[in-house]
Amino acid sequence: MKRRDFLKAGTAGLAGSVLGSVGLIAWTPRAHAATITKTFYITDGFITQPDGVNVYFRGFSPSSSSLAVPGAQLVAQEGDTVRITIVNRLNTSHSFKIDGVVDSGRISGGQTRTIEFQANNAGTYLYYDARNAPYNRLVGLHGGFAVMPNGSSNEVYAGSPTFVQQYFWVFHDIDPVWHNAIRNGNTPNTSYTPRYFTLNGLSARPPGAPGAHDPAVDAMADPLSALHGHVGDRTLLRVLNPGMCQQSVHTHGNHMEWLTDNGQVRDDVWSKDCIYLEGNMGKFDAIYPYEPPPDAWPPVTTGAYPMHLHTEMSQTAGGGLYMFGALTDIYFE
Amino acid sequence: MDGGGGGGGMGGACYVYPGAPATPGLVTADVTYDLGIDMQIPLTMDDGNTVNMWGFSDGGGNMGGMGGGGGGMGGGTFPSPAMRMRQGQIVHTNLSVDMMMMHTVHHHGIEPADHSDGVGHITWDVANGTYTYQWRPAQAGTYFYHCHTNTVLHAEMGMYGALIVDPPEGPGTLFSGGPTYDVEAFWVVDEIDSSWHTLPWTAGTCGGDVGLNNLNPDYFVITGVDGSGNSAMDLAPISATVQRGQKLLARYICAGYHPQRIRFGGLTGKIYASDGRPLPNPVSVTEIRAGSAERYDIIFEPTTRGEYIIETDIIHWVTGNVLGTTRTNIIVT
Repeated sequence: MKRRDFLKAGTAGLAGSVLGSVGLIAWTPRAHAATITKTFYITDGFITQPDGVNVYFRGFSPSSSSLAVPGAQLVAQEGDTVRITIVNRLNTSHSFKIDGVVDSGRISGGQTRTIEFQANNAGTYLYYDARNAPYNRLVGLHGGFAVMPNGSSNEVYAGSPTFVQQYFWVFHDIDPVWHNAIRNGNTPNTSYTPRYFTLNGLSARPPGAPGAHDPAVDAMADPLSALHGHVGDRTLLRVLNPGMCQQSVHTHGNHMEWLTDNGQVRDDVWSKDCIYLEGNMGKFDAIYPYEPPPDAWPPVTTGAYPMHLHTEMSQTAGGGLYMFGALTDIYFE
Repeated sequence: MDGGGGGGGMGGACYVYPGAPATPGLVTADVTYDLGIDMQIPLTMDDGNTVNMWGFSDGGGNMGGMGGGGGGMGGGTFPSPAMRMRQGQIVHTNLSVDMMMMHTVHHHGIEPADHSDGVGHITWDVANGTYTYQWRPAQAGTYFYHCHTNTVLHAEMGMYGALIVDPPEGPGTLFSGGPTYDVEAFWVVDEIDSSWHTLPWTAGTCGGDVGLNNLNPDYFVITGVDGSGNSAMDLAPISATVQRGQKLLARYICAGYHPQRIRFGGLTGKIYASDGRPLPNPVSVTEIRAGSAERYDIIFEPTTRGEYIIETDIIHWVTGNVLGTTRTNIIVT
């Protein structure tokens, strides 16, 4: 099962990246606004969890025959026109919404809808299916959208502290009982008890585990999730939480510079090793500064460190399997 | 240490990475902590029930030796003994663990070389020997340390202690150039799910549902004391007595996994630092919401005599419901 859309098709033939992935492809600012097009197919299927359980998901996928959870990372620039086509391949109604930006309204089963909007305000956004809330979002219909400041390659918002590279970290929590109810067209009526936890759609696999080092299944090996950099490679983290759980995002190696909180630019930049992430679509932006780890003796400039949620229940899968949850690694190269 | 662990073996533990090698770049320490392991620390609650805690013992030293050793017997406290040193000192944390189990020390918020960070999957879980973590704190502030092996369980079981870095000028100043204080209080707030407290140290690591995704606390503690009643009232250094004109520093550590909200009972405090880093501008608050492992350093300069009740709600990470509350007090004379 293809888990990832690197958007190569969507950016083919364009100079730089008009609507590009981050983490892999450097963002290149443009002098002029562009019209950006993207097609998502709403599809469903099963994704095997670390304990072998197959769980039902729906996704904003790159083709009719694939399933992507989360949907592809989208990046635009202030002033761009974004044209999204949604092909609903299921027989249930869905939508495509970015709070404060665009709402497709109901897209019935089998329908195709094209929506167009201006990317006006630099920032980090969740796109998601707002129908049957929160269920369609929880079952996998969500993804990250970023708007870069006009003409800028290294700021979150105009005048922000600058970065060299950027990543999305989309955290999610999964209650398979709810997913199964949604699959069967029912409204979940049990208390929400997440059993799986993912980063950019993947759980981690510790060394020695089946799937360890496989970027298709291991969040620690996923190039969209694991940080790679040298000292000085200040890295923007666009952190989104389509799940239900409030989380605490913890980095080792460096504190993070905490820039925004739920879309608001903070009054001051605080240096934090844990940042509070609201449930139900909380978000923040932070920069991992890639400074030499300050407390090393003798001093070092290379090494490997984890990022994990300190809400440690989220480090498990199926009620055990520590380190098979939402974590990744940070490499000082 | 890829493949050092893997499935099976090691007394029922999986995905652990046993080792206790020589520490790279070892130099003479200014401060040394010798820690052993104690897996039998009874904690009596206000209702008369006793919950078994795990912790680090002071003076661990040689395996099976005096002061508890690494043998899992005796000498430990909950919380584990506090570490306190000055910024710029070279610190050794010598952790001794016997052949029957594995643990690490992660000095949370301290950012050393990866071999001294205490994360098993990146380096090793200490087993059958003594390992020296070497580090030199660069910034005064409030930190804590905890075990990072099967962390979801081991930290919940109580394997943590406070870690205070004083500035070169010593206690009485929060950080160089920062505020001074006359009295100090320690608010380390945590929740306990007693159903986890009969699990073995390996629980869940090889798979199987042992409930580690679902923390349902039935006890709420502050700095090692049942905080739901009056046990932490008038009990320094949790509570504090301050004369008008004096300054109280409260070091608040969110040691649980669920989010917390701490309320100051009518007092207004100023946050000067968080996560061991000074804030660019202090912030006046009457309450703070905190996520797992966040720390806040709050200065109070009370002007009115009286008793002020400090209450911390522990809040369910999904529902937002208050699960329990700890209480202590500040007496202003």
